[in-house]
Amino acid sequence: MLPDYKFSIRPLIVVGLVAGMSVACNKIVQIQAPPTQIAASTAFADNATAASVLTGIYDQIQGNGAFAGGLQSLTLLGGLSADELQLYSSTGFSANDVGYYKNAVPNSSTLLWSEPYKYIYDANAAIEGLKDSTAGVSASVRQQLTGEAKFIRAFFYFYLTNLFGDVPLATTTSYTVNNNLPRTPKAQVYQQIVADLKDAQNSLSPDFLSTDAVTVTVDRVRPTKWAATALLARVYLYTGDWASAQAQATTVINNTGSFSILANLNSVFLKNSREAIWELPPVIPGENTLDGQTFILTTAPNSIRPVALSSELVNAFEPGDKRDTVWVGNITRVGKTYYYPHKYKAGFVPGSTPTEYLMMLRLSEQYLIRAEAEAQQNDTADARKDVDVIRNRAGLPNSTVAADKDSLLAAILHERQVEFFAEWGHRWLDLKRTGTIDAVMPAVDAIKGGTWASYKQLFPIPLSDMQKDPQLTPQNSGY
Amino acid sequence: MKLTILFLLAACLQVSAKVRAQQMITLSQKDAPLETVFKEIRKQTGYTFFCRVEWLQEAKKVNISVKNASLEQVLNICFRDQPLTYTIVNKTIMVRPKEEVPKSSAGAEPPGIDLKGRVTNDKGEPLAGATVIIKGSTKGVSTDANGQFELKRVDGDATVVVSFTSYTTMEYKIKGLQFLDARLDLSTNTLDQTVVIAYGTTTKRLNTGDVSTLKSEDIAKQPVVNPLAAMEGRMAGVNIVQNTGVPGGAFTVQIRGVNSIINGNNPLYVIDGVPYPSGLPSGLGSPILGNANTSGAASVGNPLNYINPSDIESIDVLKDADATAIYGSRGANGVVLITTKKGKAGRASVDVNAYAGAGKVTRTVKYLNTQQYLEMRNEALANDGVTADPGYDYDLLSWDTTRYTDWQKQLIGGTARYSHADASVSGGSTNTQYLIGGTWDKQTTVFPGSNADQKGSVHFNVTGSSIDHRFKAALSGSYQSDNNNLPSLDLTSELRDLPPDAPAPFNPDGSLNFANSTWTISNPYTYLVRRYTNHTKNLVSHGELSYEVLPGLELKTSLGYTDLQTGEYTDAPTAAIDPTLRSFVPSSADFANYDYQTWIVEPQASYKVKLGGGKLSALVGGTIEQNTSQGQVLQATGFTSDQLLGNIQAASSIVVNAVTNTQYKYGAIFGRLGYSWMDKYLLDLTARRDGSSRFGPGKQYANFGAAGGAWIFSREEFVQKALPFLSFGKLRASYGTSGNDQIPDYGFMSLYSSTINPFLGSQGIYPYNLANPDYAWEINKKLEGGIELGLFKDRILAGASFYRNRSSSQLVGYPLSTVTGFTSVQANLAAVVQNTGWEFSVTTKNIAGKDFSWTSNINLTIPRNKLLSFPGLASSSYAGSYVIGQPLTIFKAAHSLGADSATGSYVFSDVKGNPTFNPTFPDDYTVLVDLAPKFYGGFENSFRYKGFQLDFLFQFVKQTGAIFISNELPGVEGIQQPVAVLKRWQKPGDKTNIQKFNEDYSLDQAWYDYAENSDGGYGDASYIRLKNLSFSYTLPSSWEHKLHLQNCRVYVQGQNLLTITHYAGMDPENPSVVPSLPPLKVITAGIQLGL
Repeated sequence: MLPDYKFSIRPLIVVGLVAGMSVACNKIVQIQAPPTQIAASTAFADNATAASVLTGIYDQIQGNGAFAGGLQSLTLLGGLSADELQLYSSTGFSANDVGYYKNAVPNSSTLLWSEPYKYIYDANAAIEGLKDSTAGVSASVRQQLTGEAKFIRAFFYFYLTNLFGDVPLATTTSYTVNNNLPRTPKAQVYQQIVADLKDAQNSLSPDFLSTDAVTVTVDRVRPTKWAATALLARVYLYTGDWASAQAQATTVINNTGSFSILANLNSVFLKNSREAIWELPPVIPGENTLDGQTFILTTAPNSIRPVALSSELVNAFEPGDKRDTVWVGNITRVGKTYYYPHKYKAGFVPGSTPTEYLMMLRLSEQYLIRAEAEAQQNDTADARKDVDVIRNRAGLPNSTVAADKDSLLAAILHERQVEFFAEWGHRWLDLKRTGTIDAVMPAVDAIKGGTWASYKQLFPIPLSDMQKDPQLTPQNSGY
Repeated sequence: MKLTILFLLAACLQVSAKVRAQQMITLSQKDAPLETVFKEIRKQTGYTFFCRVEWLQEAKKVNISVKNASLEQVLNICFRDQPLTYTIVNKTIMVRPKEEVPKSSAGAEPPGIDLKGRVTNDKGEPLAGATVIIKGSTKGVSTDANGQFELKRVDGDATVVVSFTSYTTMEYKIKGLQFLDARLDLSTNTLDQTVVIAYGTTTKRLNTGDVSTLKSEDIAKQPVVNPLAAMEGRMAGVNIVQNTGVPGGAFTVQIRGVNSIINGNNPLYVIDGVPYPSGLPSGLGSPILGNANTSGAASVGNPLNYINPSDIESIDVLKDADATAIYGSRGANGVVLITTKKGKAGRASVDVNAYAGAGKVTRTVKYLNTQQYLEMRNEALANDGVTADPGYDYDLLSWDTTRYTDWQKQLIGGTARYSHADASVSGGSTNTQYLIGGTWDKQTTVFPGSNADQKGSVHFNVTGSSIDHRFKAALSGSYQSDNNNLPSLDLTSELRDLPPDAPAPFNPDGSLNFANSTWTISNPYTYLVRRYTNHTKNLVSHGELSYEVLPGLELKTSLGYTDLQTGEYTDAPTAAIDPTLRSFVPSSADFANYDYQTWIVEPQASYKVKLGGGKLSALVGGTIEQNTSQGQVLQATGFTSDQLLGNIQAASSIVVNAVTNTQYKYGAIFGRLGYSWMDKYLLDLTARRDGSSRFGPGKQYANFGAAGGAWIFSREEFVQKALPFLSFGKLRASYGTSGNDQIPDYGFMSLYSSTINPFLGSQGIYPYNLANPDYAWEINKKLEGGIELGLFKDRILAGASFYRNRSSSQLVGYPLSTVTGFTSVQANLAAVVQNTGWEFSVTTKNIAGKDFSWTSNINLTIPRNKLLSFPGLASSSYAGSYVIGQPLTIFKAAHSLGADSATGSYVFSDVKGNPTFNPTFPDDYTVLVDLAPKFYGGFENSFRYKGFQLDFLFQFVKQTGAIFISNELPGVEGIQQPVAVLKRWQKPGDKTNIQKFNEDYSLDQAWYDYAENSDGGYGDASYIRLKNLSFSYTLPSSWEHKLHLQNCRVYVQGQNLLTITHYAGMDPENPSVVPSLPPLKVITAGIQLGL
């Protein structure tokens, strides 16, 4: 029978029971960090974990696309933008990349923009985390890792500001701040870069350290005091501070205990080469460098490896330049010979131990930085000596160009072209910073099928980011 | 008072035997004295009479003629118009004179009799809780646990109306009756069919909320393997899109539009009370199964593929606040309740069903033939003033330009074979019922090769109760094993990169032809040599224990456990790798496994009581739920032999590409209070307090609630008098809140994750996310009003509802500039999204004859989505995407002016209306293109003639979609185009919508702007589709008896048979620039037997 209560206490008892049960439920919805990850608070709890945060940045650089080589890399896109590389197959290759080749870069998102900011965030997080971690991480490790983080931040701001001009300067991890940043004038970005590199110079170990950031090792895979100095020399050169550039380059060159110019061109890009100031090992098993895999042609260029060296570059080598034979490979298919960068000689060898590491900074650049800085200060004799170090190593006689500053500067620019081709977009940046780009590119674009305009020396800021951060306006002019 | 014992109980054992037959009295007497009749009744029933002899002398003679009548019926006839009345006490019928009814005088109680009675079903079982009311009044009661009731002081001329859920309502004239034996038959009226709601059931008639129901009969008409496919076009407010025709592929499900800007718009799925995942982890991210794009997280395929449609008894979609609020935080996007089939008491029955059939793609695109293709290419070269270059123009210089291959026919032109068999045994006693069933299903694909999706499943259900039915236990479960072998890619997406003169896919020796690496992307047959397999095992189980502590008070615990395990494998053997790449790209195999587990415990107490003349029902309960998801994605290389690709141990290098292990915890208390007065005024209140681990400390809990009410005005006397044709009328309204926590786990924690590959033997870690500890629940406020009408004895049933859902505190992965190092952060956005809409449905019984019947059913939904407010939109990351006052489904586009008649390049209108070749964002993007459906619905007809039954369903959608079927510039090397591009610009003065052919990419940006960023690339994608056609013949029962069958039906069924549309692309159901395999049109034939 259904009870016909007017009022009953019984339902209230049940309500009370369930309510009581729910109190116990409060703990039911609490969770811990997943077993696959660790909370940020414990990432800087001890030396080993903190060191792995910086290792994580180097690992990601090698695991991603823009700064490790391959089709999306600065090396390839910078080479396509300048007069170094020719794009053959456009299929399998997005329209974006055709855009670089034809100097009509679309304003779609690009790894050249987004990847540096990812590493800059990681570096900022490390700087903040190390600052807060007073107990777990030892003072020496904290000093080393903070130096590495500042070096990384400077390294990527250098490329950002050179590729995009005025760029937002993020120096914290706060997304509320970083999502509303305006563009910072290039000069101010450089000030931050110099400050970071000076800090890094003072903090970093002079010895190559292992992944624990403590043990000294032969692997040149963590930034050192010398890496910071070498990059600082480059930054001073780019900003026209010739004396400082000369001084910093000299500091690196004088460290003959660590670095020397190798007589054998075949040895320059081998792992732990004495020319390496900083390099990164491959992280994918069986791999050597992505550049090796992307550039070395075994067929005519196709959708997988669509580029070869341009005729401008191939013709730039002086007769007898050993770089033309040792660092340039060739393959003939259907009556046509294709030349390709052959600095890295190993590709993917499953199951093998790598023989080549990705060269991040190398000594010969320091000689050419110093040469240029000296020439700019009208010290043409020393400049010529430094250039000749590089020329002689390539099997060429001493430079015979006129001893005037301009001729010498032109000779240095040429030397950089044949020394650093297919490396880090050096040529693209050199043409820009030396103001020669508007003279060189119209003829190059005529061959490539594009039309040169001076504004094209800066890539456009990705539209999607301008939509998300309206402070990023205005776009680089011309786009 | 001296009592004379007239008849004495003849106590004998036979009595008890006869008692069972008490309802079966057969009497035929004319002008018989009451005494004689009493004797006969005692003889037949064993009941004895107590009565004073002198009273009998005053009694009238009795005329009675009944066959198998109940005791009460007989007694009612006997006592009709007698000065006597009776009461039954145990086995004794006490007879006494009627009390003198005082002559009515002013202020006195009205005259009447006390009516007692009993309400039973067609099997004679008592119906507890049935409603008995006096017609034309508000006076009424409901029956007790034994089906008995008593109504005091009823006018002797009154009519009583007896009604009960799912049974036909009956009316009885009292005419002096004192005991009413009401017997109700199961209703065939859809108003009375059971509707499953949260933690209970009701009927469409009495529901205060808005629920759409699909029954097993309608599922059985459709040869589908995913229950979602069976729902398409049949439910108002439910928009389901099949994203791909690949077996096991993804679906997009939206109930009443897009509520959440970014995050999940998936409904909550609940199978037999146990929550079921709405999305699957991305696993290997194999694109062949397609992505369900409404989910916040990446989701590949659809988990409902692993639920067997033939196991389903009903699918109920809860839509409004009243229906969904009790699901609290998870009900914002609607709730889909799936109820599986249960055994029924009765003899064991065996049901067998088998069908076989074939399927083809619904639609194809007309592509260029070789001649047209070459014409395009040569014209493009001529336009650009260049000659073919061996470095680029392989399609002209390397390939045999006399070849023609219809790649569409080659790759997706095959016939998919369907075969299916299921069988079940069910039965039981009143205390125990069971059902055991099994299904086997195989579907091949339209792709070349022997790909197939095979499923086997078992399903069981056992229900038991104690003898007094106070304690009940139920256990149900289903287990399915699905083995899906597919190419590693949906080959439809390759058609664009296959010009008609592309080389032969195979060399004469049978190996793949790599054509000196000249394939535009790759030889499509490499994706067939590279296998993809998906092996999923799905366990869904549910247990329930209940105990009726006191009459009306029931304690219940519902327990559930689901376990969905997926193992995926894909490989790239050497044979599928271009020989020139083999030294760089080794053969490899990818392995992924995922395990998604849910357990849930829900203790509940429900209480039903009569209060103030109506029925009050109360429910309180709690939920403790935990979901865990674990998985790994491994890539293995360095195999010594391709024969060993399936053996991960044979790999010399294994990389763990992804590893997940997440936990979601959920706890809640909930309650519902329902009050029904005379089944005329209904009120329903629900509340829930929820906690979810997806929110940070202090933000985990929130309260949700709703109120719903209904007024069945057709029960009002004045309505019945004024509108006699109106057989049913209900007005209902509800308002309430529900929430949404469909966001990734752990977003409030700042986490570091391990790098994938070691760095000189040492792993690094990196910041995994941007943490925001402050976000909280997304709140969805739902308002609904509806009217439901039944006309002409419910031959026409019509319903209309209006809803308005407002979703605020939008939980978004707030898009950030990549300057922040990330692309988004989990956050609440102070934006309000409104979904309003009208939903209509009309069901008519056009003809309802004995031999021939025809019923029709139409449903129509007119949705409207609107971004109501968005503080700071202009300066937010969404400035480019949304406009206040406009739907979320819009995007900004430039206005196309077609191809410039002077230059042949696309030209657009700038913000001032002047032509421009480079429209700039956002100023020149002045057109808003809305991709949401304007309206959609279904039109269903069902004809029956004797044993023949014909059903068909047309589904219709009015919408805009991407009409361009190629997103590549026409004229460039190696890219196939639809024939529509032949209408291109050729010479100055031409007026057309296709710009001139171009091969140097100088017009690429213009093409891209046109095809994807202007209104030129979008157009009508509306369609009407014959979604389902079912024709069946049931053998006459006389034949069935001869064949010893309970039931025998043969049928032919078709799905997606006909599509009427102007759409130029592949398929309008899923309009897209890059097409995916369209849904298949399927025809099957089968037989269903009941043994």
